[in-house]
Amino acid sequence: MKTGNGDIELAGIVKSYDDGQTYAVNGINLKIPDGAYCCLLGPSGCGKSTILRMIAGHEDPTSGEIVIGGENVVGLAPVERRTAMMFQSYALFPHLSVRDNIAFALRVRGLSRSDRYRKADAMIEKVRLTELRDRLPGQLSGGQQQRVALARAAITEPRVLLLDEPLSALDEHLRIRMRTELRSMQQDLGITFIHVTHTQLEAIALADIVVVMDKGAIRQSGPAREIYSAPRDRYVAEFLGGQNVLSGRIGEINGVRATMNGALFSEVAIPLPAGKRLETGQELDIAIRRDDIELKPLSQKGMLPADSASVEGTVNGIEYQGNFVKVMLQAAGEDEFVAFVPERKFFEENLAIGEKVLAVWQISHTQVMA
Amino acid sequence: MKLSRNAVGWLNVVPLLAILIPFFVVPICVILAVSFMETDGFGGIFPVFTLENYTGVFTSSLTFNLYYETFKFTFLTLIFTAVIGFWIAYFLVFHVRSKILAMGLFLVCTVPFWTSNIIRMISWIPLLGKEGLINMGLQGTGAIDQPLEFLLFSPFAVVVAYVHQLTIFMIVPVFNSLSRIDKRVVEAALDAGASRLDVMRFVILPMSKSGIALGAIFVVSIVMGDFFVVKVMSGGGTASVVGAFYEDVGVLQYPSAAASAILLTIVVMLMVAAILRVVDIRKEISL
Amino acid sequence: MTARIPGDSAKPASRVVRPRASGRPWTFYVLAGFFTLYLIALYGPMISIYILSFQDLKGGLVFPMRGFSLHWFHELFYQTRTGDFSGSFRRSIGLAVLVTVITVVFSFMAGLAFRKRFRGDTFVFYLMIGSLVAPGLVLGIGIGLAFTLLGLQASWYTSALGAQLSWTLPFGVLVMFAVMSRFNNQWEEAARDLGANASQRVRLVVLPILAPGLVAVALFGFTLSYDEFARTLQTAGPLNTLPLEIWSMTLNVTSPSLYSLGTVSTVVSFFIIGLSLGSIVLIQRHRTSSRRAALDVHIGEKQ
Repeated sequence: MKTGNGDIELAGIVKSYDDGQTYAVNGINLKIPDGAYCCLLGPSGCGKSTILRMIAGHEDPTSGEIVIGGENVVGLAPVERRTAMMFQSYALFPHLSVRDNIAFALRVRGLSRSDRYRKADAMIEKVRLTELRDRLPGQLSGGQQQRVALARAAITEPRVLLLDEPLSALDEHLRIRMRTELRSMQQDLGITFIHVTHTQLEAIALADIVVVMDKGAIRQSGPAREIYSAPRDRYVAEFLGGQNVLSGRIGEINGVRATMNGALFSEVAIPLPAGKRLETGQELDIAIRRDDIELKPLSQKGMLPADSASVEGTVNGIEYQGNFVKVMLQAAGEDEFVAFVPERKFFEENLAIGEKVLAVWQISHTQVMA
Repeated sequence: MKLSRNAVGWLNVVPLLAILIPFFVVPICVILAVSFMETDGFGGIFPVFTLENYTGVFTSSLTFNLYYETFKFTFLTLIFTAVIGFWIAYFLVFHVRSKILAMGLFLVCTVPFWTSNIIRMISWIPLLGKEGLINMGLQGTGAIDQPLEFLLFSPFAVVVAYVHQLTIFMIVPVFNSLSRIDKRVVEAALDAGASRLDVMRFVILPMSKSGIALGAIFVVSIVMGDFFVVKVMSGGGTASVVGAFYEDVGVLQYPSAAASAILLTIVVMLMVAAILRVVDIRKEISL
Repeated sequence: MTARIPGDSAKPASRVVRPRASGRPWTFYVLAGFFTLYLIALYGPMISIYILSFQDLKGGLVFPMRGFSLHWFHELFYQTRTGDFSGSFRRSIGLAVLVTVITVVFSFMAGLAFRKRFRGDTFVFYLMIGSLVAPGLVLGIGIGLAFTLLGLQASWYTSALGAQLSWTLPFGVLVMFAVMSRFNNQWEEAARDLGANASQRVRLVVLPILAPGLVAVALFGFTLSYDEFARTLQTAGPLNTLPLEIWSMTLNVTSPSLYSLGTVSTVVSFFIIGLSLGSIVLIQRHRTSSRRAALDVHIGEKQ
């Protein structure tokens, strides 16, 4: 079901309240191709829901353009934009049955009862709710409610489906199942999904494009893998998690490498990033993935391979995670420094709290950030 | 065409204002105007400015006595309704375990509110009268020889009738406030070693304050504005501010009646305003 | 919780809630007794006049009950000696219906207005509170005077109607506030998202969802009007409403027909209360489970 061009461009979107006293959204530029699954990711209050509501037409931007399928839609009503929204708590009408909820959009368009039930029943079939179609929303489980909400939005044949924290009302177990269902639904419908969430795992599991936001601005956007493995700055790295961030100053630069000195470490080798000039004495953040780190006894300090970097640290916490063990080190001052040690390996070595170890990683795995 | 938020708001309150302006603002203004006019003493009102009506009201010792009596009844009613209302609400919220039973008992308390106040008032007559049930009962057991005279047509009967009618105005808002207390807070306080008295003093009473204030608005404005309970239940022995006002009107003394009406309205509004300083009524209702 | 280390006598044992055999603290029994007394005091007097209204010709205003008959009800309906019962009853019902309809519609609209802030909303709100707390008789006489000044004839369907609305409307709006606070604005937004225009949103979503609350407003409107006295006294014009009739009877009539009037009037009140509460329960039962789910979702949201 292809329903028209759902590519979106946000150009210079600003939303301010109290006559410019506070900004919810401050200058957003973003392109989302047709048929993409895009996640807006950020903490609460970062402006992600406001963006969604502006795309939906429930709020108007103070300035800027929202272009859907080549047409500026600012000022148009939600139906005219051919967008549909799935609300955070689904906002299913409590007095209408599943069927009437799903047929609501057809009813307000003036379709006859038989016409709208025929169409609604087809949609109900698609989301596998046929047996439940005469129930009231209150008699459904969370997952079923989500399907009703999805069907109710999809029946308007939108170009873009907007989802506001669609999984937050569900428990952990159901959340993972419905996540999969959302993705397959999106592929079925073949339309653009924009999904707002504050859960990084949800975003990287689902999205073609992840947009990381903070305080009304975009920090980084791109494919999930890029955002996760190559965060642009400390904020993105810390928000996505799975990274150790080290802060320090550049010591010396020698053509292909540089060294960095920090509060508790010195002479950590880093690669020279392409297209970025480093200078001695410059302040810098680097990120190293927690699963790229190997823990070795201090005695091996002089025997490390040439392409590796290392810091010394004291183990100050151990958490068993099932398939790996999370070992926390005192190594980088205020910053958390964690190694994800494979479960079997950890129990071969038997580390204990208070032990001094060497955290080692390949220099090429270092992400140099702004 | 999209209307602004302000325009939509005003359009929706226009019908409300269409009632409040002619039937609240205008009448008060008419009374205010009349209170500054002269009269011939036979119902004629002349549009001549005078302050005589107010000097009359303020210099009369009768005014002082009337307000003293009315304040006394207001105060007594407030105390009794607050104490009874609080304990009833407390019992329903914290002692009745089944939510459905609590709601049912709550409804049982509210039903009389929807029936006639006059009837509820006169229904005390067969109980409190000289030959009423209570006197007969007490005489029957030999507790007294003579019927107790103070039961009916007395200030006591007035307070009984007020409390009977108005306790519901305390129960509902206090019930509402108490229902909002998270039971886990109480449990946490008990776990932390607080006694049940401590919980009452530091958790429950402070939380019920706003409900009592809301109830007090109704109790104060109704008792201050009442005359028929005082007239019937006191047996004519006690006057009230509104009762005197009504008699003035009866003998066509409009300007002086108007002056005392304005004074009363200001007094009531000031009392309500004082209570509103304690409680944000809008927040209280819409939570 | 009740386990104490022996010798830890620093805190007296009375500080602990000591469960009785039934697991209830002593205060439960005290308050349950108090509550029962309250109910007796609340309903006892009313019930006694209902009983006394069924006496026969010898009946008086106090117990003991003298005979049993419908004499005083008959008197009420067929004797003009006790006043114009039927006429005032019809007028009261008519007035109450008018007041109910207007109160429901206007309160609903005002409730919609107050959902969002608008410039001057505080002023309107306090105007309403002022109208609610203003002494009723004073307001009634003011309305009467204003009608006289304008050369209008006071009557139950003009001046008294307005006078009653100045009291039922603020009440209705306050009840509406409480009702609206449970309305999830996302329902309306979802309807807009699905293409419903303003009138469709109100008709298909807001009204049906708020239906139980509107029944409650109607109950307030009807009973407050049906029993209203102070504001009506000077505004009803030449023809009495029922409470005015009862009022004049309390001053003149010393027979149980006064009680039978009370009984009839209360039967009507109970009928209206039953009708309203019944329909609320019916609507709620239809949706009980949906409310619960909405609550679950709400809780999930907060996590």
